[in-house]
Amino acid sequence: MSISQRQLALLLVAPGLALVAALFLYPLSFSLISAFTGPQGGVSLDAFRKAWEFYSGDVLFTVVIVLASCLFTGLAAIIIAGTLTLGENRWIVGTLKALYRWPLFIPFIVAAQCMRTFLAKNGLMNNSFVALGLMEPLQTVSFLDWRGIIATFVWKQTPFVALLLAGALAAIDRAMLEAGRNLGASRLRVLVELALPQVMPQLLVALVLSFVTMLSVLSVPMMVAGSQPTMLTVDMAFRINSYGDYATANALGVITYLLSAGAAIIYLKRGMAAKEGAP
Amino acid sequence: MRLLTIATSLAALIAASPLAAQTLNVASAGDQNMVDYVKDYLGPMFEKAHPGVKVVAVGTGPGDSGSQKIYEKLDAQKGSATTDFDVVVIHQKAAGQMVKEGLLDKYTANVDTSKLATGDAAKNALGTDVSGYVIPMFQSQTALAYNADMVKTPPATFAELADWAKKNPKQFGYNGIKGGMSGVAFVAGWVYAFGGDADKLMKGPYDAATKANWDKAFADLKAFNANATITPGNAGTLDMLNRGEIAIGPVWVDMFYSWQADGKLPPNMKLKLISPGMPGQPMYYSIPEKSAQKKLAEAFIALATSPQVQADGIVKKFNWYPGIDAKNLEGKLDKAAWDKLFTDVTPAELANNGKPFPIAPYFNDILEGYEKKVAN
Repeated sequence: MSISQRQLALLLVAPGLALVAALFLYPLSFSLISAFTGPQGGVSLDAFRKAWEFYSGDVLFTVVIVLASCLFTGLAAIIIAGTLTLGENRWIVGTLKALYRWPLFIPFIVAAQCMRTFLAKNGLMNNSFVALGLMEPLQTVSFLDWRGIIATFVWKQTPFVALLLAGALAAIDRAMLEAGRNLGASRLRVLVELALPQVMPQLLVALVLSFVTMLSVLSVPMMVAGSQPTMLTVDMAFRINSYGDYATANALGVITYLLSAGAAIIYLKRGMAAKEGAP
Repeated sequence: MRLLTIATSLAALIAASPLAAQTLNVASAGDQNMVDYVKDYLGPMFEKAHPGVKVVAVGTGPGDSGSQKIYEKLDAQKGSATTDFDVVVIHQKAAGQMVKEGLLDKYTANVDTSKLATGDAAKNALGTDVSGYVIPMFQSQTALAYNADMVKTPPATFAELADWAKKNPKQFGYNGIKGGMSGVAFVAGWVYAFGGDADKLMKGPYDAATKANWDKAFADLKAFNANATITPGNAGTLDMLNRGEIAIGPVWVDMFYSWQADGKLPPNMKLKLISPGMPGQPMYYSIPEKSAQKKLAEAFIALATSPQVQADGIVKKFNWYPGIDAKNLEGKLDKAAWDKLFTDVTPAELANNGKPFPIAPYFNDILEGYEKKVAN
């Protein structure tokens, strides 16, 4: 008995499909059911009511933190990738190239631990400023709050976005950029008006992926900032650890899904557009 | 004949191997120091006394979440013949729940040292009767740590502290309720001080209407928070005290002494247990109902709660208050080690101002009230 091409294809994707079903779809449906189940059983929105009543501020906080981090990550990545592509000083480009990927290899929790002592009021950063005479000890402020979270996220995600962006920039036609330069445009203008528009899709995809990653990080808000307001991951952990209340934690999870679904839609739309545009 | 020899030696090997490779799994909730205590101190001692036994220490993480993980494991293995854990070290909140759900073994009658622990903590875990199921490993207590150079006369009550914080904005720091138990203890102490009838919160009976009386206390706490620094975690508070970024903050007494002994806190830091009081809590030794090695587990706990181990390990090495009654430690400990434990907080202060946490339903009400009215 021989198996057809089609059956073979199904057989080949089966392990992957089974993994997705067992490790993602199964727990996902569990958490969805739990989020919509009331304390006495039956379908209910109680968990969502509670989630909103307790954590509406944190939902907003999470969205603002993650969006702001995406914005700054994008800016930093553009600067780095732009310098790598259009930079003319070989020494600067070389150093940057050697250094910028490092944070990629450092886990969030380690980054958070470093930031904890780096960004504190009397931490390494402020102490260095004071030692350099740039600041008086009394002027120092602690960044261990929302600013610390954003700083950690941006530091950690920039290399990822810059890596994708630099790759995309390297692939575009150099002749057009050089033509721009020859006609007298500054490097900044070439970057903003000629190069960036061509790599927008890649930049957006990188930022969407960063958005979803940052949304799911527990260690950074937990370790860098105090707990009020805080991000949804911390609230979910707290709901479970302190009250054993899975329903509300799962409701917060569903809210997080919805936020990341928004990002996923942008991602998928981009993918479709790219396919349709392709010859 | 030869076959018989092989068969018998094989049988002997099979019979002997479980003895030779007996493993006692000890799961511990709490900070790393709790795991270190079993791994580096208690485990080797027990292995020496019981040749062929290996003690494996597992840490499940700090705070109630660590105990929650142990609870989930035992709950998930309810249907199976045995559990993976033989001894568990758990917090009060989880202990009450596990006893109620029949996950723990009623073992203390088989362990002689249980007679040495007669305090309330050995019988009552946040309102649940746990006598027979637990022996306290140690007692821990929260107190305010302060920098004696920056604060000459520390506040003695919660009301004085509120005034002090208003005059010294951002100089008081605590970790809220999501970053560890020292902040939770501070909030519970605040409700004891300003929420009315603290005794009822600690002893019950539970009345769901009580929480309505805390509105003013929470509103004041929200105003108080505006002048306070929110620190990242128990260790975060100690870090900020160490760097001089805050002058006063609530801490666990044992952590405070350990950090000071390690040189991670300056010597000018002191403790103050303010009135009407702040909570402390014991950690419990328990045996899961489905443990496969109850006898061995009982022997382990008997060793762990013996006066000599309590004196050397709990008090001297790890700066906790003993789990068994203090009078049983007489003669086992030199005076200097005993006095060190009571340098800043005197036994009388501890007796007056060392409180238990509220009973479980009030405990949850306080946490939820804080989340709703103070944090959001």
